[in-house]
Amino acid sequence: MSDFWSWFIIIIVALNLLGCAGLLLWNHQISPEEAAKETTGHSFDGIQERNAPLPRWWLFLFIGTLIFACIYLALYPGLGKFEGFLDWTSTSQYEKEVALVARQTDPLFEEFAKVPVEELAEYPEALAVGGRLFANNCAICHGSDARGAKGYPNLTDDDWLYGGQPEQILTSIAQGRQGMMPPMAAAVGNTDEAVRDMAIYVQSLSRPDLANEADKAAAIERAKPKFAVCAACHGPEGKGNQALGAPNLTDTTWLYGPRLEDIEVAIRQGRSGHMPKHEGLLSEEKIHVIAAYVYSLSNPPAQQ
Amino acid sequence: MSNAHERVEKNVGLMIVLTLIAVSFGGLAEIVPLFWQKATTEPLETLEPYSALEMEGRDIYIREGCHVCHTQMVRPLRAETERYGPYSVAGEDVWEHPFLWGSKRTGPDLARVGLRPITEQWHREHLRDPRQVVPESNMPAYPWLEKTPVDWTHTERKLRLFKDVFDVPYSEQDISEQLEKIEGEWADATEEDALVAYLLSLGQERKEVTP
Repeated sequence: MSDFWSWFIIIIVALNLLGCAGLLLWNHQISPEEAAKETTGHSFDGIQERNAPLPRWWLFLFIGTLIFACIYLALYPGLGKFEGFLDWTSTSQYEKEVALVARQTDPLFEEFAKVPVEELAEYPEALAVGGRLFANNCAICHGSDARGAKGYPNLTDDDWLYGGQPEQILTSIAQGRQGMMPPMAAAVGNTDEAVRDMAIYVQSLSRPDLANEADKAAAIERAKPKFAVCAACHGPEGKGNQALGAPNLTDTTWLYGPRLEDIEVAIRQGRSGHMPKHEGLLSEEKIHVIAAYVYSLSNPPAQQ
Repeated sequence: MSNAHERVEKNVGLMIVLTLIAVSFGGLAEIVPLFWQKATTEPLETLEPYSALEMEGRDIYIREGCHVCHTQMVRPLRAETERYGPYSVAGEDVWEHPFLWGSKRTGPDLARVGLRPITEQWHREHLRDPRQVVPESNMPAYPWLEKTPVDWTHTERKLRLFKDVFDVPYSEQDISEQLEKIEGEWADATEEDALVAYLLSLGQERKEVTP
């Protein structure tokens, strides 16, 4: 701030305070003949306004605000470049607040970081902290109840794309994951029938009863040999591969829906679910606590 | 003294003048100097002008009234920086015309939404049907954005307005590059593309500040 603007502000503030004080003094003095009058001379439908001075307590309130202003301007920044005797700034208040909470929580997080994830998943305090961190950072995609949504995995069902061991959960959070199912329509025959046949076959992996329907059985027979191209990732039996994040097709968990239409979209367009990396956004200790919370969702702590 | 008092009370013109003088003090001390302070007139070094796509996205943000429920102002309070990201500073809004700070948070603050680990795909699904990804959300759905092509009619004028009137440092080359992209890369862009591009740009100028 330049000297000009600093003095500009100081003068405006001083004029303001002096003006208020002057106005108050000026109005406070009443000449004896004025004070002797019973009424102000105003009359409204016969109702007369009495002539009474400003109540004392009210006058003192005004004087009080002036004194308050002077004390405030001495302690806090307000007079141009003068920073006030308390050296207060909003930035320093913010930094103190952050430092205070860090002093309180850092030892807690350090303690949690020393405990392996499986064991930490039994600590109620760690789970309470982890739940809050989850709500702020993970719930937007995985849901506040962690049950996910279409395209966003349910974290409570103990069915894992990339593995549910602590190490794997930590990697998923810190490094993120990138699903990469390519479009497969060309590989399975490139016709609408071929895609539909393959979708029926994939559906039948978790619903063997479909083979009892004649038309579906025929589709399954036609698609079965072509599943070899899918087996590269999903395995010959369709049981998936956690190293690649290829889902198990034989269970009843469907990330993008169990309907034939959903499966056909996956075959035609591929799927590329993306879990963003959180390293750098969250401290290692916080990731550790979140991992314990996520682990606890499918490995609930033993009831005490 | 009573005469002076009476003169003010019975002369409306004089009273108006004196009232204006009385109420101008606050503005003179608190607002006027800001127009000459570097902190409020100089952009952050990290601030990037909007691309044509982001600028159209911003106008869609305004058209749909996003600022009515979403603020773009992270206050310097720990609870806010913990949740949203680095607090807002004046230098990041120098090229904002109009600014979109908002005044009510029905939804979360969006000033740092581009720094959050949220995928582009999530933004798209969320705009089409918020309940699909956040069941408890009360945000309206904006499914038509996905189907509406961006109206590029006034984009060049907007870029030039920001350059000439608001001193945003677009060079002639920048503008012609943006116009080329409108003809090419963004020829088929939808309003959803534009809005998502705008959302992902929010907060990038404060990326290096870890809260």
